[in-house]
Amino acid sequence: MGERAIKWSYMDHWRSAGPAGPIDQWHDRASMSRFLKQIKAAGFDAIDTFDFRFWQITGDYGSVANYQDFVREHGLERIVNTFHAADYDPRSYAPHVPETHAAILEDFRVTMDRWSGIRLDNIIVMPATLYYDMEPVTPDKIKTTADLWNAVGEITLQWGVKLTCHHEFFCGIQSRPDLDLFYAGSDPRYVNLFVDTAQHCITSVDPVDFYTAYADRVTGFHFKDTRNRASGDDHRHRPDSEIMAPTTDKWFYEMGTDEGLVDFEAMMRAVRDNGYRGWISVEHDKANKAGGDYAESTAISRWYAEHVLSRIYR
Amino acid sequence: MTTFKLGYAIDQWKPQFDDFVRRRDHERALKTIAIAGFSGVQLTAGTGRWQPLGNPQQLEANFGSVDGFGEFVRSCALEAVAAYVVDPGQGFHEDLSHGADARSPANRDAVVATCGWFAQAVARTGGDILVCRPAPSGAAGKADDAAIKALAECWNTVGRATAELGVTTTLRFDFLSCLRLADGWDRLLAALDPALVGLALDTGELAAAGRDPLAEIERSPLPLRHVILSNARATDELDEFTRPGAEFTVRQSGGQRGIPRWFGELEEPGLVDPAAVLAALGRLGYGGWVVVNTAPSPHPATSALLSGYHLHQILLPALAGSAS
Repeated sequence: MGERAIKWSYMDHWRSAGPAGPIDQWHDRASMSRFLKQIKAAGFDAIDTFDFRFWQITGDYGSVANYQDFVREHGLERIVNTFHAADYDPRSYAPHVPETHAAILEDFRVTMDRWSGIRLDNIIVMPATLYYDMEPVTPDKIKTTADLWNAVGEITLQWGVKLTCHHEFFCGIQSRPDLDLFYAGSDPRYVNLFVDTAQHCITSVDPVDFYTAYADRVTGFHFKDTRNRASGDDHRHRPDSEIMAPTTDKWFYEMGTDEGLVDFEAMMRAVRDNGYRGWISVEHDKANKAGGDYAESTAISRWYAEHVLSRIYR
Repeated sequence: MTTFKLGYAIDQWKPQFDDFVRRRDHERALKTIAIAGFSGVQLTAGTGRWQPLGNPQQLEANFGSVDGFGEFVRSCALEAVAAYVVDPGQGFHEDLSHGADARSPANRDAVVATCGWFAQAVARTGGDILVCRPAPSGAAGKADDAAIKALAECWNTVGRATAELGVTTTLRFDFLSCLRLADGWDRLLAALDPALVGLALDTGELAAAGRDPLAEIERSPLPLRHVILSNARATDELDEFTRPGAEFTVRQSGGQRGIPRWFGELEEPGLVDPAAVLAALGRLGYGGWVVVNTAPSPHPATSALLSGYHLHQILLPALAGSAS
């Protein structure tokens, strides 16, 4: 890591204006280049991505390694993490349903092979299906879920990649008691924690306290903010609570604004005090909604990292 | 190793009077400029309550004082206001002035007063450059010898006055200027006192008028005191700068050819070669501000970040490589 204990990666949510409407950076190489230039200009060291981009990557760049080369040509180090965004379904793909485990294990064998051309630190998962498909959330279901991820983590380690868990506010394992049960039942050798500051804050789980409790299992972070805590049934709306929860139109914001609920300075002190060395990822998905702008949100979050958080720990 | 300082022009954030009026907007713009790798911000004069950064009175009204605005700028991790850009032909609600044409000797005191007002603000916010529009747009017609003499005397007087505040008065040629007629710009430069007035080189404005900014650097009789690095996408080939209301009909709406954006990104193919400009500045040992201006931009934050990338990852490393 050189002199710095912390390096900053950008989770690659992005939209910009194209001549025929909004585009993402996967539109073509020119749009990807503009995206990467802006990430580098803001001072990020690397990017994270989603592994479902595999088809666009192979189509446009030939291979994952070629795409990473393209990233590097823009002055960024590499791709640090990939997010495995599964389309959960209790009939075919649900961690608490043992009958679906074989399919999930095979999915990870295929995925890891596809991404084997580059070095990844983590593959990030939402470890439980949607809350409404898992409820009632019982200790048995949590144990079944933990057993699955133990097995998945063993697979990913064969490719040198850590399995790490990211608990969305609308997934089946998001309350502090259920989180504790999950981490008690999973094997620290294979199952790690990826702390998304906003997601935990939304569920009224203090991300600083939660991180501190499991610091030895944490392999990364999404530093992201929110302005609303979930209330009532916000976490269990079909088909997707992030879209359907009636209390909140936009859940996520960039860090570094006064309106946010996450105490990032306390978080950074905890990161320092626990001796964490490695990557922190910045994320602000849907930044362009409700009048936002990805480039501006990215600049603001990176400004905050550089001028506030790095003074606490760098 | 380059000796100049990098700044960014705020103009692109304010396409209309009711845009960019809230403190939060200003803070986000300044922080974006800072994290993109710039250390100064260039302001442009404006008038009225909906121009919070437009003049010293509005700065005081919004930030408590001009010094308070300076603190606000520094709190966003910028060092200074690089310059204020002022067109004395613009009227100000704040003093009920209606704009003064510097070609008339009778307007000299008014121009000096307006420029002094802004120079004080520059001096109190960490800067030392005032960028002035020397003459009105082309509809005013060519500047005859009497007009050139009046302009020179006016700007020499302004330069002498702002120097007492520690601020250098610079003149910026723009592509709508009446000084495009009858070699007015060159005649004015020759008539000015280089000890009192400096050149503010705006690369894009020169290129949009069909002039070569590199030649301007080499042959200007005035000392180069300020640089605005902009990239023109088109030249005013139809001489539309002489049309009435060219500020609106040509600069903003693109004239008869419907030019959507006269000035683009530094990285785009355009009429300006930013690498050659920086190399020329390096040869001069130029130590002032280089302010990037991409206004108007549909996406200001993107423009600032792309400019920062192009400067810090492409242009400046190449310049350092060629110097070593």
